[in-house]
Amino acid sequence: MDAFVLLGSFLVLILMGMPVAYAMGLSALIGGWWIDIPPDAIMIAIAGGVNKFSLLAIPFFVLAGAIMAEGGMAHRLVAFAGVLVGFVRGGLSIVNILASTFFGAISGSSMADTASIGSVLIPEMEKKGYPRDFATAVTISGSVQAILIPPSHNAVIYSLAAGGSVSIAALFLAGVLPGLLLGLTLAIMCLFIAKKRDFPKGRAIPMKEALKIVVDALWGLMTIFIILGGILSGVFTATESAAVAVLWAFSVTMFVYRDYKWRELPKLVHRTVKTLAIVMILIGFAASFGYIMTLMQIPQQITGVFTSISNDKYVVLLMINILLLLLGTMMDMAPLILIMTPILLPIVTGLGVDPVHFGMIMMLNLAMGLITPPVGGVLFVGAAVAKLPIETVVKALYPFFIALFAVLMAVTYIPGISLWLPNLLLK
Amino acid sequence: MKNKILHFNDIIYLACIWASGISVLVMSLIVPWGIFTRYVLGTGSPWPEPVAVMLMVVFTFFGASAAYRARAHIAVAMVTERLPKKLQRPLASVIDLLMLIVALFTLVYGTKLCLETMNQVIGQLPWMPVGVTYLPVPLGGLTTLIFVLEHMIFGEQGNRSVVTFDHEKKEEVV
Repeated sequence: MDAFVLLGSFLVLILMGMPVAYAMGLSALIGGWWIDIPPDAIMIAIAGGVNKFSLLAIPFFVLAGAIMAEGGMAHRLVAFAGVLVGFVRGGLSIVNILASTFFGAISGSSMADTASIGSVLIPEMEKKGYPRDFATAVTISGSVQAILIPPSHNAVIYSLAAGGSVSIAALFLAGVLPGLLLGLTLAIMCLFIAKKRDFPKGRAIPMKEALKIVVDALWGLMTIFIILGGILSGVFTATESAAVAVLWAFSVTMFVYRDYKWRELPKLVHRTVKTLAIVMILIGFAASFGYIMTLMQIPQQITGVFTSISNDKYVVLLMINILLLLLGTMMDMAPLILIMTPILLPIVTGLGVDPVHFGMIMMLNLAMGLITPPVGGVLFVGAAVAKLPIETVVKALYPFFIALFAVLMAVTYIPGISLWLPNLLLK
Repeated sequence: MKNKILHFNDIIYLACIWASGISVLVMSLIVPWGIFTRYVLGTGSPWPEPVAVMLMVVFTFFGASAAYRARAHIAVAMVTERLPKKLQRPLASVIDLLMLIVALFTLVYGTKLCLETMNQVIGQLPWMPVGVTYLPVPLGGLTTLIFVLEHMIFGEQGNRSVVTFDHEKKEEVV
């Protein structure tokens, strides 16, 4: 009954259209009233929820990514990818995927990825003879890499939702191979489609020009080396590395690239503040929701339900994948990580799944939710950039959904893909 | 009268945005400063961490209330969009009422929290009462309350020029 009051009221509130963050706060109040917890305690949970140093990594990573994305990084990464893979048949589609891989290494937002890579590459691909819906589908599915490849602020949110017991460094390293596997799978698929539909070859770039493009892009790509190098060598914490990334992104954009105007900065800050505050207030209210959930022992009850169906690790993981995929089609990533991690993590760790590995399953799974209807932020942005109806884009995405699902299954059932790198470098 | 109130709310909105924006910028400067003092000056400063966390509380609560006015919060529109127009209106009013409750809760219990923690101090900053660091909670609740009331009385304000000033111009990136 307790669970019904808390989760039920939350469900009703969000379906009525109440902003998710405030709906979490209000259902925590309702749940608290039901089990006689005073509002004071809920307020303490909310204030405590946003009062942590490790949380700072989230605004920093988002800000660094936003500066890079708006500061002209996208067309440099596209040019860089063009040097590396542009000359093959269907070259521009592979360039698109690879540019997203690079983009993922400076930003954890697939929305920003689709918006910036898409606005450069979708028109260009169409000009070279690719159908626009295909170009859009490539952009959208490629941008899923941004969530997996470090730095990923969603991984930081997961680490937080897991109670801080999962290290951000491990999660960052764990994301590298699944991200690359995803990129590779999509690229191979594009090669096949390109051959079948006879898409054009790109041109090989002359050495001198290529060198200039590579150097230009490396300035921005240094970010990831600063972040990972800093954390792995122990020079700074994840949070500090994120702050350094902001300074680096800012310096490269304003003093090296110099195509961003100073007077545009207030707009960038204005925009980023809104994006960030939405995530942070969500974290605050989710803390109160999680507090009531723990007092009601909801995670234990749900674990009981799951294990009563099956005690087999693989079956439970499959059930969780289906559950997350369904939820992901309807809701955004951050709130789902915050709500579902405390519920699901005890189930899987009880069956011997590594929390870092589970983090990757969750990231990939919920990231897929961003590109699926009815609610998919990245899908909407992609369709808007391409000026195509959402249904058209969804149709073009079908083969890509299959590829993504295959990668999800590989990541779910082969823990080594996620755990090999962190085990190698952190233990 | 209406215009005066809306204009006044524009000022509150801008104050929220600027307070949050400046907090984010200062945060991004003082955390690297902490690293600098540790490695270069060899002293290490105790203050950048707690101050950065304080600033995060500022931008979370003021930023969130600005985002409310800008209608930027994550919400599920899947069901409400499909409802007949006749039902959408009363439902929106119910949501306004519920938002009012949450804003009031943040204001009242945030104030209580501040008052109760006024006598405690942060370890690294002996001069700073914990209650002061929580001030953005009730203040952000207050500004949210104002914006909720505005929405109830005057309707949607998400398209005012101060709110949309940051929207990107619809240009193709070259």
